[in-house]
Amino acid sequence: MTATTPVEDVVDQPLGVYTRPRGGNGWRDWVTTVDHKKIGILYGVAALFFFVVGGIEALLIRLQLATPNGTVLGADMYNQVFTMHGVTMIFLAAMPLSAAFANYLIPLQIGARDVAFPRLNALSFWVFLAGGIVLNLSWVLGGAPDGGWFGYAPNTGIVFSPSPGMDFYALGLQITGVASLMSSINLTVTILNMRAPGMTLFRMPVFTWMMLVTQLLLVFAMPVIAVALFLLAFSRLFGARFFDPSVGGDALLWQHLFWIFGHPEVYILILPSFGIISEVIPTFSRKPIFGYPFMVFSGIAIGFMGWGVWAHHMFVSGIGPISVAAFSLSTMFIAVPTGVKILNWMATMWGGRIKFSAPMLFAVGVVSMFTIGGLSGVTHAISPADTQQTDTYYIVAHFHYVIFGGIIFGLFAGLYFWWPKVFGHMLSDLIGKVNFWVMLVGFNLTFGPMHVLGLQGMSRRIDSYSPGFGFELWNMVSTIGSFLIALSIAIFVVNVIMSAMRARGQAPCGPDPWDARSLEWLTPNPTPVHNFDEVPVVESLDEFWHRKYGTDDDGRVVRVATAEEVCEDGSAVGVHLPSPSFWPIVFASGLPFIALGLIFNLWLTVPGGLLVVMAIYAWIFEPVDDPDAAHGDHDDHGGDEVTADTTEEAPVV
Amino acid sequence: MIPKILRGTGLTALVAGLLTFLTGCAADAELDTLNPQGPSARSIDNLFDPVFYVAVVVFIFVFAGTFIIWWRFRDDHSDEEFPHQFHGDTRLELAWTIVPTLILVVISVFTLITLRGLNETEANAVTIEVDGAVTQWEPEVVVVGQQWWWEFRYYLNGLDGVDLTDARHLPPADIVTANQMVIPAGEEIELAITSRDVIHSFWIPALNGKKDAAPGRVHPWKLEADEPGVYFGQCTEFCGLSHSRMRMQVVAVTPDDFSAWVAEQLQPAVEPQAAAAQRGMEIYQSQCARCHVVDGFNDGSGADLVANAAPNLTHLMSRTTYAGGIFNMYEPNGSLDRTQLEAWLRDSPAEKPAYAEGRRGMPAMGLDEGQIDDVVAYLTTLGRAPALDIIAATEVE
Repeated sequence: MTATTPVEDVVDQPLGVYTRPRGGNGWRDWVTTVDHKKIGILYGVAALFFFVVGGIEALLIRLQLATPNGTVLGADMYNQVFTMHGVTMIFLAAMPLSAAFANYLIPLQIGARDVAFPRLNALSFWVFLAGGIVLNLSWVLGGAPDGGWFGYAPNTGIVFSPSPGMDFYALGLQITGVASLMSSINLTVTILNMRAPGMTLFRMPVFTWMMLVTQLLLVFAMPVIAVALFLLAFSRLFGARFFDPSVGGDALLWQHLFWIFGHPEVYILILPSFGIISEVIPTFSRKPIFGYPFMVFSGIAIGFMGWGVWAHHMFVSGIGPISVAAFSLSTMFIAVPTGVKILNWMATMWGGRIKFSAPMLFAVGVVSMFTIGGLSGVTHAISPADTQQTDTYYIVAHFHYVIFGGIIFGLFAGLYFWWPKVFGHMLSDLIGKVNFWVMLVGFNLTFGPMHVLGLQGMSRRIDSYSPGFGFELWNMVSTIGSFLIALSIAIFVVNVIMSAMRARGQAPCGPDPWDARSLEWLTPNPTPVHNFDEVPVVESLDEFWHRKYGTDDDGRVVRVATAEEVCEDGSAVGVHLPSPSFWPIVFASGLPFIALGLIFNLWLTVPGGLLVVMAIYAWIFEPVDDPDAAHGDHDDHGGDEVTADTTEEAPVV
Repeated sequence: MIPKILRGTGLTALVAGLLTFLTGCAADAELDTLNPQGPSARSIDNLFDPVFYVAVVVFIFVFAGTFIIWWRFRDDHSDEEFPHQFHGDTRLELAWTIVPTLILVVISVFTLITLRGLNETEANAVTIEVDGAVTQWEPEVVVVGQQWWWEFRYYLNGLDGVDLTDARHLPPADIVTANQMVIPAGEEIELAITSRDVIHSFWIPALNGKKDAAPGRVHPWKLEADEPGVYFGQCTEFCGLSHSRMRMQVVAVTPDDFSAWVAEQLQPAVEPQAAAAQRGMEIYQSQCARCHVVDGFNDGSGADLVANAAPNLTHLMSRTTYAGGIFNMYEPNGSLDRTQLEAWLRDSPAEKPAYAEGRRGMPAMGLDEGQIDDVVAYLTTLGRAPALDIIAATEVE
């Protein structure tokens, strides 16, 4: 194994057969890292890359539909592009961007040094990336998937979709699903077991709570889509006929499996965003979150009820009227916990002294835009109306108000909010505000008209439409809006580049740029590799804020300590940390070969399988840790000398 | 708070204006979902409209709140005092849990009532008079979707004993037509919807919501048109390459006209007399009859296609559209649109994307111009053009 191991990075290891790489600053450090913060950044970079890819696909869709009888793409290419737009945005952009926040922030918010299984965390990322690469290889290896992200059988069968596209869909998504499943188990264990002393469940920030619900949804939802994708892969590759009614299969089997996964998936996407803005809104309103227990329990309620609404995607699929009635009711009432959240956010802002910085603007954007998506959701929870609306642009409008208005705006709020935490410098707030307003206008111009188009009867997933149905005007408006969204993303990229250039050579920004509330801000910006100099002891919800503020005799809030006094300086040395590993990326690199082998030539699965098996063996046999890495030099389990009296000095390391 | 807002007349006007805006700009929208022309669609619209009003009220409530917060609570640096730190208010939170729940309970009651109505059937027998013989027809139409067109099958003796489980091998029907379903106006028509290949969805927005057509399954649904007229539809379940080019129409006619239509459709084709049409018939026999059916000439024992069926052409000329309802057969003045028909016969995959090589869709037949003229001559002998007002009403553009 030493052949693949650069000698200068290796410490002689008597304990095991395999040596572990040492951290550095080059690319080798990034591919071997098990640091949850670096993995979070990797997730973020990959997700934003795929977000741009999916955005380009969206622009192509809008160009094709800008005018009647569009000829930009043609029917076949259009079907591939809209399929990949959905797959990319959901599985390769929104989910991993949430994973970026989860990875980076959960250990920090609960006062931990890392996640429970650091190598598994790295494996999750590399496997996700492998899945994303497999999915997008389809563009150059015979055609992208053309059956829609929902992939309804039997249209995805080999007869009706003879290109290898749907094979890439079945296998690529299977791989990303494995990544999500591993990551969700890892983060669930982390949240339940790795909390700092005093960090009870009900002292966890709402973000961590929403992430916990999300991870539990993933743990139960991913196996369902895994089963569905196996059935599809076996149908296409090995002649199985699970969805073929002529031999006793059932076309609706796929729909049930897909949506039992697919509807919890909606909450998997939205709850992280809810968590993000539940951190942003109190911070910028300078008030605690209104009704913390209600916020937590409404999130849990959404998590449970989310399992009982899947067939609202199937009101016209031919399920009987009793099923339709039951799912209609359950769908209506899931609006209640969601509405509670909206009103609680507004109550959090009410009476505050609100700073409308860029993160807050995006967060308020979620509250208002998601409300529109939620309300249109109620208009098709009433199933008779849904028989008119389903599979029209009214639905496209609805779920973009949920996914873009509710999720993308929330993720951008998070990007602006935690950027200084991650990179040690602020993004320009002025450019950020411009970014927000351009995105808000572009978003509403793009998706607002789709409500009208849908009510006028424009079907979804049509590559062209004839003039004379009243679709011309609003499609053109929508296309113009989509380019405004693209402009807003360009503004964000400019902001990232300009802010980084301005920060070059400058000292990092202060420790607490937003006057924040939760524990991650106790560490300096950017976060040192070991997170906390001393694991904090938690006394209350909003621990960090309570260390800065107390109340005087009249009950008024007074500052008792500056951020500099409260925050750690990151100077601890020799903290015992998990060692990097080569094997996650080696494991993940085998998977594309297996996928391509199953599609094109089974022999290709041999090198892929060998890589995977080798990585598993090496993973097991590599030494548990570097025995010289200063274990025991530093007391990182302490904290008993730290009390939670907010007047106390910053913990001395 | 909400009821008080509801009482405001200005708001009612605003909401009414919004709906008028939505529907008003849809004056030329044949697929408009807010313009019901039959009892089922009307009952859906009567449910949707009030819920839409409620949603608009909540929308205004939330947006007004957001703007008030924006204006009242933004940090204007006038006061460095920290705001009052309140953590919640259980009564308030219970209120905004219970009030939306109650609103939704009311909505759900009306939803269930509407849902029950949509699933009840009360079809009356339709009297059909053919050549003096009177038939009582239980108005049931079998709707069969396939890539990328619709077939409508009429069994005049009812569907009892008609086995629909295998849509690729259906029992012979009295009338088989494509893309345009002809029904008597003012009568409730029962539909039995199925598919020969992938899942499609049958949708005539002016008459009722949609219902999927799935292989191996027969889904009951119903339609009723108040008045004679032509009602447009579009396949709404993604069904592959030409999903956007899979359209259909319901042509509702008076009971008398319906009897006349049935009588005409029951006639088999007769052999043409003109020489060009004779030559066209021979080409039909050698090329087209592999898939298509003309009653009285070749039977429908199976087509060389995945779906095992192609449109029945016996009364082709009685239909005003073809190729999945995307082309007009006639000019608005009633004359044949010969240019489009010839282009279709010359190279149909260029006119409408299809996977002919995968036996899905019509291939290019490789006919020369003379042969195309002959085939057109033959096709124009198949059936009789409908009334001019129907031709005008079915114009796609």
